[in-house]
Amino acid sequence: MMTQRTQTSSCTLRYKQRFVTSCRPLVTLSSAAPGKTTLGFVGMGILGVPMTLNLLKAGYEVVVYNRNIQKTDPVVAAGAQVATTPRECAQRAQYIFATLSDPQAAISVANGPDGIASGISAGKGYIDISTVDAETSNIIATAIKSTGASFLEAPVSGSKAPAEQGKLIFLTAGDEELFKAVEGPLDVMGKAKYYLGGVGSGANMKLVVNMLNGSMMAALAEAMALADKSGLSQADLLEVLSLGAMANPMFALKGPAVVERSYPPAFPLKHQQKDLRLALALGDSLGQPLPVAAAANEAYKMAKAKGQANSDMAAVYEATQH
Amino acid sequence: MSGEKISVGFLGLGIMGEACARNLLKSGLFSAVHVWNRSPDKASALVSEGALLGSSPADVVSKCSITFAMLGDPDAALQVVFGENGVLQAISAGKGYIDMSTVDEQTSQRIHAAITSKGGRFLEAPVSGSKKPAIDGQLIILAAGDESLYKEAEPAFTKMGKKWMHLGETGAGARMKLVVNMAMGTMLNALSEAMALSDKAGLKQQDVLDVMGIGALASPLVAMKGPAMMSKNYAPAFPLKHQQKDMRLALALGDQLGQSLPVAAAANEQFKVARARGHGDEDIAAVYEATKP
Repeated sequence: MMTQRTQTSSCTLRYKQRFVTSCRPLVTLSSAAPGKTTLGFVGMGILGVPMTLNLLKAGYEVVVYNRNIQKTDPVVAAGAQVATTPRECAQRAQYIFATLSDPQAAISVANGPDGIASGISAGKGYIDISTVDAETSNIIATAIKSTGASFLEAPVSGSKAPAEQGKLIFLTAGDEELFKAVEGPLDVMGKAKYYLGGVGSGANMKLVVNMLNGSMMAALAEAMALADKSGLSQADLLEVLSLGAMANPMFALKGPAVVERSYPPAFPLKHQQKDLRLALALGDSLGQPLPVAAAANEAYKMAKAKGQANSDMAAVYEATQH
Repeated sequence: MSGEKISVGFLGLGIMGEACARNLLKSGLFSAVHVWNRSPDKASALVSEGALLGSSPADVVSKCSITFAMLGDPDAALQVVFGENGVLQAISAGKGYIDMSTVDEQTSQRIHAAITSKGGRFLEAPVSGSKKPAIDGQLIILAAGDESLYKEAEPAFTKMGKKWMHLGETGAGARMKLVVNMAMGTMLNALSEAMALSDKAGLKQQDVLDVMGIGALASPLVAMKGPAMMSKNYAPAFPLKHQQKDMRLALALGDQLGQSLPVAAAANEQFKVARARGHGDEDIAAVYEATKP
């Protein structure tokens, strides 16, 4: 399913933005296709590896980069090639995807020394799948577009399992031409893709969704804690929740982890907390109070303080334990 | 296997009670369904469908093997039992009383003690689900207390619910209901804040609901209350003031047990804001109004 948002020119904005994308004549970008297009992929983490594997399986040539080269082993075994810098990745590939863990890493890869911007050029595109704030995304967009290349912010909804199954949801914004050109790879990696408008819209949508995700998990954690403290079976609670209006796939997945108090990371808690922090900052900048998300953020901070930063976000349950 | 039909009673004919009583009446499983409501005009529809109107809770209990109750709050639940011509006047050995109201545990225990002291059997059985599930007989029944009464009530549960569970001794059902409703209240506020932030950020709220609808957070709650918030349609399926009452009771339970619940507490404050602004009788979706200045 695709939501189309048409821009009348690359200079106009339909959504509230603080930055203007640079006004360059649009280059016609060729549609990515297996056997025809070389893709790049930066960031061989929880999402990057399965996404790259799916692209390789679909028949694309993929050149990857990761700061710690050992993390590239699984994709190299499946046929990927390795670049020694993001710059080299951008030189060797036409469309480069990136999944970095936070705004700092995203800017470093895009704009830093030997970064994407130093190797990319007109006729190419950079698709940043990292979850960042709109300001960071605009900084990256400006640097990329100043080279003549196109830019698409494309954070995803979904974590490890959807990435493996090719069922991610892309929340894109930026150059619509680039969105159209990479439809093929996006459809390999995901089950749905949205084009939401000017740079920042995708970032903001992702933050809204992840804020909801964080608050919902915090709600479940408190319910599980109260159930346990009051002598109820947590498994009974999960069953009741699964039968009613609140039933959702996230609870079905995370609930048992809480019962076991075992949290192998599908979505690391530190990233969930980063997203809440960014969402609260967005609310702050727009004058929107968010007291429940703020309280949830504190719970994630407490869980981090208890050593759960690298555990799955379900470990926010540990913040309820005194 | 006994083919004898028993007669059942139903006290409290509000949004939930009327729907449940109607399902019992339509089932044909019982020899009679006796009903009572504080304002008798609420009973007229059911009476026209074949229910028998009792003059008081005691009147109903005296004529029934099992009497169900569904009142709006702890005060009403206690009044029906302990008040003049209340349940206690007529309860006797063998008779069963099943209270499906959502109350705090102390209220439930008081009723339990009073009923059993007169030789009666008691089951607490609060439900999860609101108006439509009640009408459709799709409630989730969270029972606790007398096991023999639970078994005898099962035919009735099949008509009112899609799932019924026996959770332990009296108190367990009340606690489970409060935990579940606390989760719902917090989740509703999470949705409300997501809708508010997306609007402020210039995103289309329909896009937000579409994205949520296909992802890991998709739930009937989001599917029902998201559009309600978007269009400000707050016709009550579950009145906000009752949801806030449940949050208050859940927080009190946490307090009693030494369980800190900061996120639920923040959610409760938002319900209080919505009530202060006059949205108490509207649907819980109206908590969205608390996100506005």
